[in-house]
Amino acid sequence: MKNLLLSSLIAIILAGCTLGHYGRLRMSDSNTSAPKPFFGDNFNSFLFKTNIHVYGKHFSGLLVTKQLQPNDYRVIFTTELGMKLFDFEFKDTAFTLHYCVPQFNRPLLLKTIQHDIEILLMNNLSGKPVAVLTDKKGLYDIKQIHFDDRYNYYFKEKASQHLVKIEHSKKWIKKTIFTLNDYKNDFPGNIIIKHCDIKLKIELNLLKR
Amino acid sequence: MKKAFLIYLFILPAILLAQMPVGFKLVKDTLAFKQKMETQSKLVNSIESDFVQEKYLSVMSEKIISKGHFCFKKVNMLRWEYTDPYSYLIAINKDKMFIKDNGKVSKYDINSNKMFKSINEMMVNTVQGNLLNSKDYKVQFYENDKQYLLELTPTQKAAKDFLKSIYLYIDKTDYAVVKVKMTEPGDDYTGIEFINRKTNQPIGDEKFIIK
Repeated sequence: MKNLLLSSLIAIILAGCTLGHYGRLRMSDSNTSAPKPFFGDNFNSFLFKTNIHVYGKHFSGLLVTKQLQPNDYRVIFTTELGMKLFDFEFKDTAFTLHYCVPQFNRPLLLKTIQHDIEILLMNNLSGKPVAVLTDKKGLYDIKQIHFDDRYNYYFKEKASQHLVKIEHSKKWIKKTIFTLNDYKNDFPGNIIIKHCDIKLKIELNLLKR
Repeated sequence: MKKAFLIYLFILPAILLAQMPVGFKLVKDTLAFKQKMETQSKLVNSIESDFVQEKYLSVMSEKIISKGHFCFKKVNMLRWEYTDPYSYLIAINKDKMFIKDNGKVSKYDINSNKMFKSINEMMVNTVQGNLLNSKDYKVQFYENDKQYLLELTPTQKAAKDFLKSIYLYIDKTDYAVVKVKMTEPGDDYTGIEFINRKTNQPIGDEKFIIK
């Protein structure tokens, strides 16, 4: 039993995963609505200077998000010189890959980036059961939404009333952390997406909305 | 047979007319144009210019506008710098490529990477207007009173996947490229307009070395 525990612990460390701190969160209410998606802003578009670091490779360019319908978003990534790298559409629960250059057309990478953007867009959250939690220090209002064995935790800072972090976990293991900084007019100017189990980091800096 | 010939006779000019860029007609003597372009290109040793780039995406209501400055010096030295609304710099110095992004400089050997090699060829040949000699493109020549317009269609499958055509707008007075438009298969495009262009002004080699 001791060996099993030890090998499980080593496996977690080797996989580079981080155990969540979710056990320390207290359930406070279960009668609340899902967090409001901040990209769903009157069908406006958002332009970000974007850097993607993946296993020593580096891609930089411009990422555009555009809400076409209430639950329909188009997300396009181009190089600074204008060459399109990928073009995604998220409509309700469906995903369409409109275009992708061969460098990005790797199933695991593509699926991971697609999933990250899906979480960030916060599309289709309405109607999902939401649990409200509080941290020990009482700094955040935390909403938890689960999808099968995966959970998203939305951390709203009480002082600023801004969503400052999203954590995506599988059971108790933290998989991805989204940090939202530099708020201007209720929209984050800087978003960092960092994976705990793979070497993938995406940084978005808002240029225009 | 007669019917087919008649259809061909009436439909073909209509198709050709439909493909003709608005306000332009076909150049009659393409050989003379090519020779003149080559002669003019040989006279240019350096180019310095500001540029305005617009990216059109059909799903967006507004174009993405970026501005910057570029320098070119023979042989094979190019500095392409975005200054607004973000900072990003690509410099090519013979067989080396530098990219400065977020204050961080990355250096690459152009010959070690097929993609960098084609970026280099594309950028250097575009600003010089030399793409018309490339076997990778089929070229159509058009003109109006003030400009020549070259439509370059890629012949290689790899390029066809992301590039439908390149349009080079060339000033008739000095044979300088004043505008480039690159259209994608879905008709999204990137347009680059060159303004405040200066030729054969001294440019120091240090402009093409990024630290």
